[in-house]
Amino acid sequence: MNVRPVYFTRRALEGMARGPYVALVGTATVFVALFAVGLLAGVLGGAERVLSAWAGQVRISAYLAPGTDLAAARAAVAAAAPGLEVQAVPAAAALRQLSEELGDQAHVLDGVGPGVIPDAVDVLAPGISLPGARALAAALRALPGVADVDYGNAWLEKLETLVSRARLAAVALFAALAVATAVLVGNTLRLAVFARQEEIEILKLVGATDAFVSTPFLIEGLLQGLAGGALAVGALAGLHALLVPRLQAAVGVAGALRLTDTLPPALLLGLLGGGAAVGLLGSALAVMRSLRRA
Amino acid sequence: MIELFHVTKEYPGDAPALQDVTVAVGKGEFVFLTGASGAGKSTLLKLIFCDEPATSGQLLLFGRNVAKVSPRAIPYLRRKIGVVFQDFKLLPLRTVAQNVALPLEVQGLPDREIRRKVRLLLRSVGLEHRAGKLPPSLSGGEQQRVAVARALAADPALLLADEPTGNLDPERTLEVMELLSAANARGTTVVVATHDRSLLERYKRRVVMLERGRLVSDGDSVRRMAGEVR
Repeated sequence: MNVRPVYFTRRALEGMARGPYVALVGTATVFVALFAVGLLAGVLGGAERVLSAWAGQVRISAYLAPGTDLAAARAAVAAAAPGLEVQAVPAAAALRQLSEELGDQAHVLDGVGPGVIPDAVDVLAPGISLPGARALAAALRALPGVADVDYGNAWLEKLETLVSRARLAAVALFAALAVATAVLVGNTLRLAVFARQEEIEILKLVGATDAFVSTPFLIEGLLQGLAGGALAVGALAGLHALLVPRLQAAVGVAGALRLTDTLPPALLLGLLGGGAAVGLLGSALAVMRSLRRA
Repeated sequence: MIELFHVTKEYPGDAPALQDVTVAVGKGEFVFLTGASGAGKSTLLKLIFCDEPATSGQLLLFGRNVAKVSPRAIPYLRRKIGVVFQDFKLLPLRTVAQNVALPLEVQGLPDREIRRKVRLLLRSVGLEHRAGKLPPSLSGGEQQRVAVARALAADPALLLADEPTGNLDPERTLEVMELLSAANARGTTVVVATHDRSLLERYKRRVVMLERGRLVSDGDSVRRMAGEVR
């Protein structure tokens, strides 16, 4: 077969112009499927970004045994947590801060002396992972004079579990959506090919090779997939622009979300490429089946 | 051109569509293939057109054993054959000119050459003025002339016509038959399947007659009508 890209593209465009409804359904199917996949990926990416911003507020506190030298303990903690901000918190300062936080209820601390609350050394560990926090806590606990270490492990553990479950759910949903997309797009394109079964038969009648018959259909699938992918990318970017300011009002940290956090270029390119691949694959399967029948 | 040796074609669960048929058609011949409905005429054309394989026997086309032609080579073999059907098989959403251009596009001719040939072909079938029309807007006779023009577009060595006048009135029938005869006069081998006795009587050509899948006579129409061939 002669390679005639202009001729075959023209035939593909003519084919879509003759059956615009089927072409629109094909494009819409790819759009809906890719939009769903992109939305899921974007929400997950945004959630991880928000969660990691929360994780940035992690404070690991090493409580000292009575009589431990606070300055020496701070130095030891600083040595164990290189590169991190370390603060010595004397018992009196902790009590004062607690009193301020309690506000009108501060009277409940009446009679509580500095000896009740131990001196502590706090480590600010922005963006630390749960395993990192665990390791640092263990290192601090081993230091002389450290009686206990608290790193908010209860909520951090829950956070980590939530994120890992969300990742698993996302992978499962991705797989399900990918299968559903392939089936939907394949069936839609099969309809398009079926609608032109007569054309295929007549082309074969006049000596067309399988490649000659199938190339315009493949180009149609590719164009519909690309169009569906581009529409999905546009819709996701629009949704991001619409939702982030509203989210920011409810969750302050959401304001830090940039387009590249929720919809990184790799994801957008992946959606375009995925659309093209799904369109191409769907039309290839449909036209192969049709050629066998012709 | 076409040689069949003891060709049989069977479909599962049915009586054989063709049984032990041996016949040859030479280059430049005009042959009527006749017989009642179900005699095997269309099946024989399908075998010649490589649409279906024979169950047994040998079919040589242009000197090649069709059974040994690879599926990838069949489209190239078909380009030497023009086919006309009773139901025209035109694409309804393509113009007359685009329908005629199909075999030329398949062969990869340049656009300018395609336009030139299509103009000549449509002129030869008297439809140049209908080039931009869609087939459904044409009469049956005009549609069949478009189908003949398409079948002749690639200058085929062999033209097969399956009941080409089956849907036409007598006047349109003659027009189509004249086109087939003209193609034959230019050197194209023509095989016309028909059960229309008036055609056999009008055109004194070789007649191959099938009955229930068997070849029952092979001779010229005058002798056949006179009952000399059986």
